Amino acid sequence: MTKRLACLVALALAACGRKPDSGGDVKSITIWWAQWAPADGLQELGKDFEKETGIAVTVHQTPWPSYQDQVNLEFGNKETKFDIVIGDSQWIGRGASKGLYVELTDWLKGAVDMKTVHPRAAKYLCEYPPDSGKYWAAPCETDGIGIAYRKDWFEDAKERDAFKAKYGRELKAPDTYEEMRDIAEFFTRPNDKRYGVAWLTGRGYDALTMGYEQLLYAFGGSWGDPKTFAVKGHVNSDGAVAGLEYLKSMMAFSPPGGAKLDYGEVMEPFYNGSTAMSVNYFAFFPEVVKKLGDKAGFCAMPKKGDRRFASLGGQGMSISAKVSKGRQDAARKFIAWFEQLKIQKEWIKKPAGFPANTEILKSDEFRKASPYNAAFADSVDILVDFWNVPIFGELLAPVQQYVGEALDGKRPAKEALDLVAEEHEKIFAKARESGELPK
Amino acid sequence: MLKYGFVGPALALLITLNIFPLAYNVWLSFTNYDLSGGGPRSVGARNYREVFTEPRYASAIRTTALFVVAAVGLELALGFALALALRERFFAKPVVLTVLLVPMMLSPAVMGLFWHLIFKGDYGILNQALGAMGLPQPQWLTDPSLKLVSCVLIDVWMWTPFMMLISLAALNSIPRHIYEAAEIDRASRWTVFGRITLPMCAPLLLLAVLLRTTDALKQFDYVMVITGPNDAATQTLSALLYQVSFGGFKVGLGTAYGFVVLVAVIAVATLFTRYLGLLQGRR
Repeated sequence: MTKRLACLVALALAACGRKPDSGGDVKSITIWWAQWAPADGLQELGKDFEKETGIAVTVHQTPWPSYQDQVNLEFGNKETKFDIVIGDSQWIGRGASKGLYVELTDWLKGAVDMKTVHPRAAKYLCEYPPDSGKYWAAPCETDGIGIAYRKDWFEDAKERDAFKAKYGRELKAPDTYEEMRDIAEFFTRPNDKRYGVAWLTGRGYDALTMGYEQLLYAFGGSWGDPKTFAVKGHVNSDGAVAGLEYLKSMMAFSPPGGAKLDYGEVMEPFYNGSTAMSVNYFAFFPEVVKKLGDKAGFCAMPKKGDRRFASLGGQGMSISAKVSKGRQDAARKFIAWFEQLKIQKEWIKKPAGFPANTEILKSDEFRKASPYNAAFADSVDILVDFWNVPIFGELLAPVQQYVGEALDGKRPAKEALDLVAEEHEKIFAKARESGELPK
Repeated sequence: MLKYGFVGPALALLITLNIFPLAYNVWLSFTNYDLSGGGPRSVGARNYREVFTEPRYASAIRTTALFVVAAVGLELALGFALALALRERFFAKPVVLTVLLVPMMLSPAVMGLFWHLIFKGDYGILNQALGAMGLPQPQWLTDPSLKLVSCVLIDVWMWTPFMMLISLAALNSIPRHIYEAAEIDRASRWTVFGRITLPMCAPLLLLAVLLRTTDALKQFDYVMVITGPNDAATQTLSALLYQVSFGGFKVGLGTAYGFVVLVAVIAVATLFTRYLGLLQGRR
């Protein structure tokens, strides 16, 4: 009877899916990522990893709007269902300081030649605190904001002549924000349901913040000093205000409802042929090629004077601190395999498989592999990111709110950014007081 | 012992599903509990201090109140008017009633998504129709003065049938002979409406208003779909709660917000039920 009971208990435990502790016993690993094309590509690559090692890879995809909530709720458990989480760059401070991510500093230096990782990707996707040399993730998907434009409209002889007659220069992909404004104005013809530009302005998570970020930096502002967390005079500087005013002025050339376009929505007017340019992350551009073929062209964000920036997107691969040592070892095995040059060369063949490897980024093979790759490779050098401290969620809220209100015409740009600075100072002060940030 | 056996399961269910979560939430509201960042530590009344000194909280209360008054008020007026119109028997009345009741049977989140498409500034069917009639095409989703209006319109569309249903039940419960007596006394239509119909429907209408108010106070679905939880123009208390708990990861602070919302809902419900009791006492 006792034996039978013991067997039943053992069976019940097995049914509950207890995961083995020893690395050698691990037959599968689970990766969590958002639901999009690169995740499908990673799932395909996972099959090669299984062939080589016998460890199956499952990439569990969650729609973007609920991805952050799902990951955080999962981290609230004693054990996570994922072994690797491909988290947004902003999450890294939280993952590092709250004990959610495994520190990879020593291991990563041995497994990956960090000299081959683009410094901007290493800084924003892998490191926390900034410039500390401590790594909590390995680069997976490097991404940045760029421009998709209607190449067929830009190359149309009539349009070119009309543009030259009006602005005294050739119609081509914009190199400066002044040129971009002129092009947007030129193509804005509401009677023909044609508009200049669709910009990231969504209020849901961080789309507006990311849409504004490159303007903030290009026009001379910044989020603040990452060492001292000083924000006044940075996020509400004259340059920052000029950047926001520029964004607001571009709303006049946006399709109706252009002041609230999320990541998916910003592509709709581009796909339906009503907008000349669309500002979004490169990871969305394979779909543009699929839908519009060679009618679409791509370029990096323009410059203001000699300042050119692009908001960083993309994610790093982090190992959950809430799985067994054996599973962490299997996760390390996968990351080391993925970061090999030969696998990275396979990765770039997947839709929106954007690497951080400098050798690949510079190579002609990569630059010519798709119509958007060259613009992407140029954008990696100019990436900037939002705060990646543990309280980034709180910091995002006032930016989304007040910058949004400025865009809606409820507040002048200066007042909106003063409020952002004030709120950010308060949030930083509170975080220092509670020990979430160093005093 | 047997009597406890009968009460026990219900009591256990009540404790597990209601009392324990409530007590746990009250405790969490006095801690710094973070969504995924380790165990909670007591912070005394700090969260409540923050709730009551935070300007966003005052703004969310204003937005919620505005939403409740506008939505429930319109639903009551339209629902009652529809019930008056549909009171008498006519051909195909059951079909008309069924069609009118469809909106309230659908999921609010799905409704929000559909209305988001309808309200779209460029290719939304509403603006297309307005444009075809030569009327101005407002930006329902981006104009700061229209965002809350859009949420109210969805709520009105969805819940007016509920008000209509309760109003119809109330109207049908008025005994016929009272109207006949009023007719003999040659009372005018307005007198009949003001002295008989409205007062006799009042208790049921008040119940409907109570149910809708407590529900509207928790408004979240449309706000999430129409603007997201972080837009000051539409940030209701529930949206703020979500933003604090899931956007800022401050579950301790979020539960403090949640508890204050709960107390507000209970206070409103108590006021209504007291008044309802008063009305019934008068009858």
